[in-house]
Amino acid sequence: MQKIDPEAYRKRLERMSAIFGEMVEHADEQSLTRCPYKDRHDRCTALFGCRHRRPSEEGLPHCVSDDKLDYRSAWESAPAEAVDKMRDRLKKGRKNEQ
Amino acid sequence: MAELGDIQNEFIRAEIEEYLERPEEIERNIELFSRSRPKMQDMAAALIDGDNDTVDQLTREALDEGIEALEVMDDGLIAGMGIVGIKFRENIIFVPEVLACARAMKAGMAHIEPILSASGIDPVGTVIMGTVKGDLHDIGKNLCIMMLRGSGFVVHDLGVDTSEDEFMDAVEEHEASLLGMSALLTTTMPNMGKTIEAFIDADLREDVKIMVGGAPVTQEFADDMGADGYGKDALACVDLAKQLLEEIEEEQNA
Repeated sequence: MQKIDPEAYRKRLERMSAIFGEMVEHADEQSLTRCPYKDRHDRCTALFGCRHRRPSEEGLPHCVSDDKLDYRSAWESAPAEAVDKMRDRLKKGRKNEQ
Repeated sequence: MAELGDIQNEFIRAEIEEYLERPEEIERNIELFSRSRPKMQDMAAALIDGDNDTVDQLTREALDEGIEALEVMDDGLIAGMGIVGIKFRENIIFVPEVLACARAMKAGMAHIEPILSASGIDPVGTVIMGTVKGDLHDIGKNLCIMMLRGSGFVVHDLGVDTSEDEFMDAVEEHEASLLGMSALLTTTMPNMGKTIEAFIDADLREDVKIMVGGAPVTQEFADDMGADGYGKDALACVDLAKQLLEEIEEEQNA
């Protein structure tokens, strides 16, 4: 079996990391203005449901989102606290039921 | 000086002509592909097209024919991924297409791994990755996996909706030293904690470093859940994975 020089391989890894690193940075920027699950043909590739989906005869459903919403600003910024609060609410709810 | 017509593969020629705009990138790619073998051009074309079966087949054939693994990487896989990167940057393709190309690259790299092993080049580390139980969001996880693989890690992807038992079984089966869990929903985030508790209950917690991530996850949440580290994005994931491996090495040497 052929052999690979470790130093030569390391250089290839660096090249791959650089390419993927740029892609990941771009994906992060792009996700502010376009749903990352939407492919180049505006088809939805998500495994979960979405209200922007419309059925298609070609397989993957179509996405009808206008991409104007920055969904990230709507996300919880202090999830640990939110989870605790939710647990408290559940506990209180259970007590009230009893 | 090479010209576009010197490239045999029609698909590659069309890609350069249609999608590349920066003169230095056009020149570099024409230079690269015009001197590469037709099989390498075909491999790059299949990778750009996200066709992992063809990449798999061409890589196997190339290595069987005695083509050097580094040439396969340079002229086939990395050359193709370079074009993918440009098309993504220019918003011609999007994340789902990029991930398909990354899967095609993995199919090719799978044939190079035995050669790396025979050359005494070990993977940087072995990582189990999955989205937690009840969560079907996988883009962030998939980008992390792409970055980790591109950095020399072996990654076993458990996909979405991963149960505690599936995480534990995979860590044991692959003797992985790292586990990465992802969640996008505040409702599924507690399942990270439950999985960590399951590792403790099964007396496996000391065997693996656990990292967590996902858009709503924070360092504070990771600490609360008892994770070993938190990565805010795919770039941070690779740095964290390397840092945790160093910690493992230090603990073993202590």
